[in-house]
Amino acid sequence: MSELFRRDPRAQWIARNRLHPLHQTLVIGPVFGPSGLLRKNLHSIGFIGPNGLKRIDRSGASNDSAQGSRRAAAASEVILPLHQVLEPAFYIVVVLDLVSGRLNGHDKDTLGLAQQLANRNGGAGAVVAIAFGELKDDSLDKAGVDRLIHLDSPHYEQYNPEQRCNDLQVIVDDLKPQHILLPDSINGGGDLGRRLATKLQQRPACGVWKLIDDTVTCRGSAGKSDITRPLSQLMLVMEECSEPISETRHENIVIPQDTSQFTGAKLIDQGNISVDPNAIPLAEAGFILSGGNGINDWPQFHHTASVLGATEGASRVAVDDGNMPRERQVGATGTWVTAQVYIAVGISGAIQHMQGIGQCEKVVAINTDEGCDMVKRADLSAIGDSTEILTRLVELIEQRKQTINGGATND
Amino acid sequence: MTNDNLSVISLVSIGEHPTSRRPRRAEQDARAIELGIKLVGENLQTLHAGELPDDANQQTALRSYLGMGLAEMNLLEMPAQADAVLVIAEHLKQQNPDVILTGVRAESGESSGMLPYLLAEHLGMAMVTSIADILSVDEANQQAEVLQALPRGQRRKLIVDLPFVASVDMAAAMPRQSAFGPAMRGLLDTAVAGDFADEEASTWQTSNAKKRPKRLKIIKAKTAADRFKAATAKASGGGGKVVHGVEESAQAILDLLVEEGLV
Amino acid sequence: MSSSEFLSQFLFTLITFALLLTLVGAVKRILLWSQGQSSTIHWLGLLQIPRRYLVDLHHVVARDKYMSNTHVATAGGFVLSAILIILLYVFQLKLQILTWTLLGSSLLMFVGSLFVMRRRRNPPPNLSLGKWQRLPKSLMVFSLSFFILTLPATGILPSDTGGWLLAVLLVVGIIWGIGEMFFGMTWGGPMKHAFAGALHLGLHRRQERFGDGQSTGLKAIDLNAKKLGVEKPIDFKWNQLLSFDACVECGRCEKNCPAFAAGQPLNPKKLIQDMVIGMAGGDDAKFAGSPYPGIEVGTHKGGAIIPIVNVLVENETLWSCTTCRACVDACPMMIEHVDAIVDMRRFETMEKGQTPGKGSEILENLSATDNPNGYAPSTRMNWAADQNLTVFGQNVEKQEVTQADVLLWIGDAAFDMRNQRTLRAIIKLLRAAEVNFAVLGDAEFDSGDLARRLGDEATFQRLATSNIRTMNKYQFKTIVTADPHAFHCLKNEYVEFGGHYNVLHHTGFFADLVSQNKLQLDNSKELALTYHDPCYLGRYNGEYDAPRFLLESMGVKIKEMDRSKSTARCCGGGGGAPVTDIPGEQRIPDMRMADVVETNAEIVAVACPQCNLMLEGVVEPRPEVKDIAELMLDALIEGVVENTGEGVVANAVGGEV
Repeated sequence: MSELFRRDPRAQWIARNRLHPLHQTLVIGPVFGPSGLLRKNLHSIGFIGPNGLKRIDRSGASNDSAQGSRRAAAASEVILPLHQVLEPAFYIVVVLDLVSGRLNGHDKDTLGLAQQLANRNGGAGAVVAIAFGELKDDSLDKAGVDRLIHLDSPHYEQYNPEQRCNDLQVIVDDLKPQHILLPDSINGGGDLGRRLATKLQQRPACGVWKLIDDTVTCRGSAGKSDITRPLSQLMLVMEECSEPISETRHENIVIPQDTSQFTGAKLIDQGNISVDPNAIPLAEAGFILSGGNGINDWPQFHHTASVLGATEGASRVAVDDGNMPRERQVGATGTWVTAQVYIAVGISGAIQHMQGIGQCEKVVAINTDEGCDMVKRADLSAIGDSTEILTRLVELIEQRKQTINGGATND
Repeated sequence: MTNDNLSVISLVSIGEHPTSRRPRRAEQDARAIELGIKLVGENLQTLHAGELPDDANQQTALRSYLGMGLAEMNLLEMPAQADAVLVIAEHLKQQNPDVILTGVRAESGESSGMLPYLLAEHLGMAMVTSIADILSVDEANQQAEVLQALPRGQRRKLIVDLPFVASVDMAAAMPRQSAFGPAMRGLLDTAVAGDFADEEASTWQTSNAKKRPKRLKIIKAKTAADRFKAATAKASGGGGKVVHGVEESAQAILDLLVEEGLV
Repeated sequence: MSSSEFLSQFLFTLITFALLLTLVGAVKRILLWSQGQSSTIHWLGLLQIPRRYLVDLHHVVARDKYMSNTHVATAGGFVLSAILIILLYVFQLKLQILTWTLLGSSLLMFVGSLFVMRRRRNPPPNLSLGKWQRLPKSLMVFSLSFFILTLPATGILPSDTGGWLLAVLLVVGIIWGIGEMFFGMTWGGPMKHAFAGALHLGLHRRQERFGDGQSTGLKAIDLNAKKLGVEKPIDFKWNQLLSFDACVECGRCEKNCPAFAAGQPLNPKKLIQDMVIGMAGGDDAKFAGSPYPGIEVGTHKGGAIIPIVNVLVENETLWSCTTCRACVDACPMMIEHVDAIVDMRRFETMEKGQTPGKGSEILENLSATDNPNGYAPSTRMNWAADQNLTVFGQNVEKQEVTQADVLLWIGDAAFDMRNQRTLRAIIKLLRAAEVNFAVLGDAEFDSGDLARRLGDEATFQRLATSNIRTMNKYQFKTIVTADPHAFHCLKNEYVEFGGHYNVLHHTGFFADLVSQNKLQLDNSKELALTYHDPCYLGRYNGEYDAPRFLLESMGVKIKEMDRSKSTARCCGGGGGAPVTDIPGEQRIPDMRMADVVETNAEIVAVACPQCNLMLEGVVEPRPEVKDIAELMLDALIEGVVENTGEGVVANAVGGEV
């Protein structure tokens, strides 16, 4: 939409004519009476609240006339204040995971914690983000990166933790950072951080999830205990260890840095191996399509699972009837699952089954019976014939894949 | 696989059950043993550094590794709180193993997951983390092919130089059942090891893990009304939505999958 | 020499020789048994053989009237004939009365053999064929030969009747008859059952079973032994080996086995015959009964020192068993199939670590958390957060008590949302009856039933001794539990570890309360209801009446299923069968639910949490599954609840502080 303000003579004329039937809908802003006093027409502002009473929002945010919304749209692209560190008193180094070249939540939380460390006690440190390989994300400035070291060459596209560790050693020697933070993740940060710790002969704080003054709280005993210990230079931090940066922009100044000289790698990456979703143990699967007694067309169920890339699960009945192998059984008597999304097709939801999916984040039910327990539990329930719904879902997903692929080639 | 000359040592610790916190066979260490048995069968050596309880019942956790079919286990006796790295490194220097298998991290104590890295550094060996399998070991070229576990069941193939330390992920093959008879009859070959006290850790405070609050989706809104709307809209919109009709259903499910980033 | 003199001479030689051979065979057979492990020899039991044979054995046989009459005639005739033949022909006691008696007894035996023959004409599938088809003929030849032989001696016929032709025929008949009946008895013929069976009745490992007694608890083993459980046939106790030889292959076990009916690879009869093959060496090609479903006959062989599992018997066979004891209960020879199966499972679990299915996980959970599903031990009482239960303990501030009239054993139903409903009903009923009860709370562990039946004796013994140690700290008169498995363990299996308790199942306990009018039930409702006997309450502990009494007190006319009381079919939930989950053609609970549907009942009353889960797992539509306690709560007369309910609460809070 154009940013130009266009005059609408008719609207202006109606706005001047207080007797026009549409007058009240267009009057926005101050109206000055004949004596020069500001007049407010209380009938034209506000809205009727849910209990039938008139509500007036004096901030004006809920007014949505044509001109008002245009202004609001323009104002919504808020330019956040820029946080500048001209002369960094010290550095906080953050090594980003950058899964497929983008910041993920864990990276952002790590940067958030780094900013906390850089600015606490009135300090004026700069957060130096280190990125290996391709960097597709252009929101680094909004995520709290003051300085950026970007090491990019084709071999960073592979898993080469020894090279990266060596690079980090060089950088740490240069910058002498007060703290080095890495996400304690399986996406590389956990591994790289521990390698760096051995090279630097440092004892890292691992599994850090809370910072209080000069101490950090870490998860120990594989998540069963909390260890409170002093801040250490090298810290491997957990997801949600801090709020991500959201109210400031940062300079994101690139510090040039070359790849360090390193020979003698003992690991050679041979690339990823494609894994069948059904080879993933049910308990670890993030996305499960589970079938029960209500499924008539099992080949179609398997087809849907493969199109969705979902791991297959089953209710006890489906297993008993021989439609699915026993290790696919979900529930208290089968496997307890922790999927992010669990789609239950034709499963009415025996108590044991509901117990087994208690930890799933989003449950989708596809069932003919609207009154069944699964529908009561589900976040989204589709009532209807499962075969038809799955067929349509597969079509939609294939269409979507085509448009995405098509879009990608156009780019 | 025939790796008769290969020397594989599996390091084991005493695990801790996640809910009862009782000592048990650590899940990853047991997988490491399973992988070791797959590689070299009976030639697998196992090593534990820690205290040896006098009471047979308390040895159960350690002995449960023997119950996987191992004849004996080497035990380096040291106080439970002491630093095991140096003790184990000293011992392993004399053994010259080709492959050292460990879990990714311990189930009790600091469980920093540093031990395999530190051992690799001390012994000058390669280190590969979170493996799911060892595909082959080529002794002539001193290389091994391993599968590394990545999130969501993905796997990465790596070639690693021998000798190496590998930490075994939960994604590795399930450990075999521990049988009571062999567990009770297996030998614990004890040697007294040095005592390297971990002074730093003794200053830390340890408590039971507190439940971490689930992060709320914070809405940065200018007005209370907006914040209120944002906070309530979610609950009324997403939870327990019921849709009818094939087209609407399929679309609603697709929308949810897109929102969750799964398609 | 006349033909009769020749016959007399010949018979002396033949019978003496046959007896000697029989004796040699007997010694060989005894040597086979003696390969087994030592076990108490109950010498006095030998004196009891006739009584046990006539009373206990025939008690079981008489469930099939036709067969029991046939057996009385045949076996009675034979035993008598055999004694007389020995007296007449070996000791040459030529007394006329003996001859006449022999004539009678052989006739009796002949009549019996005709009935055997008739039954064998169209044998039902549970009967073995092969050499067993020969038996009626042998019986007939034996009895007829001696009958004819004796006729001249009694003077009915002149001596030398029939001349040499008949003499030769008689010689052939007698050789056949004696061969089968004497020689075959100890050299592996069908008559082996008479010799081994008699000794087995006398030397039975569970002497308590005779004379209306009961012995159903598994026997403990020494965990410090060099080998745990049974790997090879010689690892069985010698009297177990003897018991295998007693099998008559009548197939009553097979007819009652739920796993066999469901098409799982188990046939108790074949299992016992395989144990005989293992003991004596050989293969199973000659087995002439129904095979293990899905496993061909003739593909397995064994020997006394050859491991059994996966050589002679597939491991799936062992793990199909639900330990429902239907086979043991039906066995006229009192063979203990379940003991043998658990013994072999013990080796599989404790020496080989090969418990199939989810067994390994369940056992690991039991050792780490004392409950099979690995729930945090501290959450055991979470279900009862709103129940305000009195807990046994030393902490006075928490209002814990050290004594109560009743210890309510909760069991693992505490973690199961379905069975928590039953528990709540029981608590309401106990309060309504003003029973002074308390629970062990988090100190209660799994009873060990599942671990023991999965072969993990070590875990069972740990759980049992811990539970006993806990319970010994407190005073109570009775343990009441809703779980027949825990009931059986506490009552029958803890005894060996020093736990002697008065244990009642909730149905038994409530039956007392109802008959004492402490609980009043509304008997006006009309329910179309049937009752499913839990194996561990019925067959294991003989409690068939209390549940029925309670149902009848509610005015219910129970629509009994064909298979009820001692022949009730298992729900499929016992012995860890749902854990090991051996595939079959159909599911046991589905079969049981079909039995229920046949009665047109709308509700099936159960008295066991496991049955509850198994039967509720049957796909709807199906009759409703309700525990008797739940039905009782529905029928409890309201006024009584209100009057006593408050009093009980006051009592529970105020009285026990």
